[in-house]
Amino acid sequence: MYETGRMKMKVVGIGGAGSNIVDRLMLSNPNGVGLTAINTDEQSLAGSPVLDKYCIGKRVTRGLGAGGDSSIGREAAVADKQVLEGIVKGIDLLFITAGLGGGTGSGVSPVLADLASQNGTTVIAFVTMPFTIERAGRAKVAKDGLEHLREVANAVIPLPNDLLIQESEPGASLLEAFSHADAWIERAIKSIWSMMNKTGLINLDFSQLQQVFSHRAGKTLFGLGEGSGENAAEEALENLKLCPLLHTPEFSKKADQLLVNLIGGAGFSIGETQLIMDRVTESFGKDANVVMGAVIDESLGDKVEICVIGTSDISDISIFRGRKKPRPPSLEADPAELTLPKNRKNKEIHAKKVKVEQDEFSFNEGDPRGEFEDTDGFVFEGQDLDTPTFLRRGVRIPI
Amino acid sequence: MYKSKVIAGIEIGTSKISVLLGEIVEGCSLNIIGLGQSSSKGVLKGDIVDFHDASDCVHAAILTAEEQAGVKIDGVYLAVSGSDIEGFPSEASVNVTSRDRRVSMEEINQVSTMAKGRDLAEDRAVIHHLRRPYRLDNRSVEKPLNLEGDRLEASYWTIHGNARKIGDAIHIINGFNLHVDDVVLSALAAGSVVASDEEKTNGCLVVDIGQGATDYAVYQDGNCVMAGSMPIGGDHISNDLSIGLRMRLSQAESLKHRYGTAVLEHKNKTEKVWLNNDFEIGDRPIPLWSIEKIVELRMSEIFEVVQKKLGAYGRRERLLGGVILSGGGANLIRSDNCAELVFGVPARIGENGTMASGELRESQYSVVLGLLKYGLQYQSKVGSEGQPAGIIGKLKGLFN
Repeated sequence: MYETGRMKMKVVGIGGAGSNIVDRLMLSNPNGVGLTAINTDEQSLAGSPVLDKYCIGKRVTRGLGAGGDSSIGREAAVADKQVLEGIVKGIDLLFITAGLGGGTGSGVSPVLADLASQNGTTVIAFVTMPFTIERAGRAKVAKDGLEHLREVANAVIPLPNDLLIQESEPGASLLEAFSHADAWIERAIKSIWSMMNKTGLINLDFSQLQQVFSHRAGKTLFGLGEGSGENAAEEALENLKLCPLLHTPEFSKKADQLLVNLIGGAGFSIGETQLIMDRVTESFGKDANVVMGAVIDESLGDKVEICVIGTSDISDISIFRGRKKPRPPSLEADPAELTLPKNRKNKEIHAKKVKVEQDEFSFNEGDPRGEFEDTDGFVFEGQDLDTPTFLRRGVRIPI
Repeated sequence: MYKSKVIAGIEIGTSKISVLLGEIVEGCSLNIIGLGQSSSKGVLKGDIVDFHDASDCVHAAILTAEEQAGVKIDGVYLAVSGSDIEGFPSEASVNVTSRDRRVSMEEINQVSTMAKGRDLAEDRAVIHHLRRPYRLDNRSVEKPLNLEGDRLEASYWTIHGNARKIGDAIHIINGFNLHVDDVVLSALAAGSVVASDEEKTNGCLVVDIGQGATDYAVYQDGNCVMAGSMPIGGDHISNDLSIGLRMRLSQAESLKHRYGTAVLEHKNKTEKVWLNNDFEIGDRPIPLWSIEKIVELRMSEIFEVVQKKLGAYGRRERLLGGVILSGGGANLIRSDNCAELVFGVPARIGENGTMASGELRESQYSVVLGLLKYGLQYQSKVGSEGQPAGIIGKLKGLFN
């Protein structure tokens, strides 16, 4: 477990896909964050190099996995509630990684997130959504899992595999396609980790991160961009605009509060930071509520990475079409509550507030529908036709 | 002294609102006397999502048309399209009871009423009953009156829509103190103009691809036997481009118009075109293949979904008259080739024929022209048969 002052971070991988990501982090960042793997399948767990691993629900599944049934996953999690409580105890920032669509990821993640947020932990979940070409049942399981998870986690960032396949080389194997999502999640977690732990030229601390996730909550937006060499900053900005997790370059208009963090190598100067900050402000607009930070990570060399986290307040949007639920009236923000110092005592309040408001807007049900996000989908033969045809058919589009 | 009536065909589309005025002289001839258009706001996928915005746009278009013609509108024919329009076949049969086993007018009326009588859910309203040929002892007959047989069957394709959504559109027109005489499915209106009698007899399909919705109508033996609508259209192509190539919707829209083609033309993936072509910062090269592929996939999918919705009616041998495209989507390069590939029959871009001249010949005006044509037929019918019925009568109960 990695500690920074009072702050403790942990990444928990749930199910096969979730554990893969934790394995990956373990290999690339051995001295990093606390890593834990949870699975219901004993055999698959045995292959994981992670030390801190738990096979849960043996009484339910006999250690043979949840068989794609999320209710079994859930049962397993409830049966071993104490184990899960132990895993999240005393953690300030918990990352959950899971592949939704399977039984364990979809069933266990919401339970763990719920336990953690009850203890005042800030929970950020990165979940992969199944390919449309996988059977329809998986999409349903994933959709339900995502819904449950949204109710209990502070932020849920779904990564649709359909979209990420666009990043792979033509003729990539299915395995490579899957590993793309893993790589994205790895980058995302590392980026937030650097933000919290590396020396800051302009510091962003945990309370600011917490504020982004709990003050307004609403929906979560996440994007990464990187660049290297002489024009690293501009390259990174361009790269960010092409980030598959953000639909269009207009994303900044969609977020009420934007946290922009720059991570640069050792040669990253304050002058350079200034230049990038100007560029960022130019791109994201001055009037937007943008919080900016810049940190140094020696291992990056001449690379610059930009990480954007955005949230938006859904309470003033009056027209709700499609699946979005209006904010319940009981959640009328109390101004006094919002200005309270962010110490541990108050986390519970935030966690509670977030619980109901939480939603995401990068993807509706994990599907990118762009312009039609707020409309009722047109479902034909089990497919939402508002989602681009090329994504549903898994056609790779060079960009 | 001629007795004339001014009718308006109004299409509230996702991209624009068109109002075409026609003067019906003596209930039998039609003169087109005015056209008003405005770009559309508050309409998404063919549905009205912002009443106020949509209302303003419609009123602007009506005003323009009235000013141009210098007359006031007496009645409106409104096109409907978009989501929530569905259809089902409804059938009924009666025994021919008269002693000479010849079908009487009473029996025809009885079987028709029975077939149309199927109850709909409360929030649904019938838009059209499309009559298919009668069947008399299992042979298809157009006019069974006085023919000999034992059993007469009537079959209709009933098109119904969300009463509330249709009511919204009617309410906008009523807000301008105008009376809606009838509502017509866009595809039927377009079909009556772009398809020739010969094509209708041989069996043909009319597909009207708008910005927010696609409508279709199948003709067989001269009559429309099946029609429908789905909320997928040109906007989806732009949206796909915007997501796939990470650009703003307006940029995607412009790329679609500049380079979009419904059938892949550039097999070479390396050829690139400039996004904005203005040499400014933010311009970047986009592979032409990617643009064409995204457009091709969406266009062929639109046709494929229509084909699946048609069921047996979408089979090649029933569409010998071919496929006729209309609406803005038809302007996409090679959209006819794309339809040919999907349906396996010849396809062409619809023309408005002898009815229109000048700019009205463009396929985007097919629907409003069709509305006027429909209105002309309707007027002459009202003259001979008396009281109009149709959807307006049914909706009145719901909204007043």
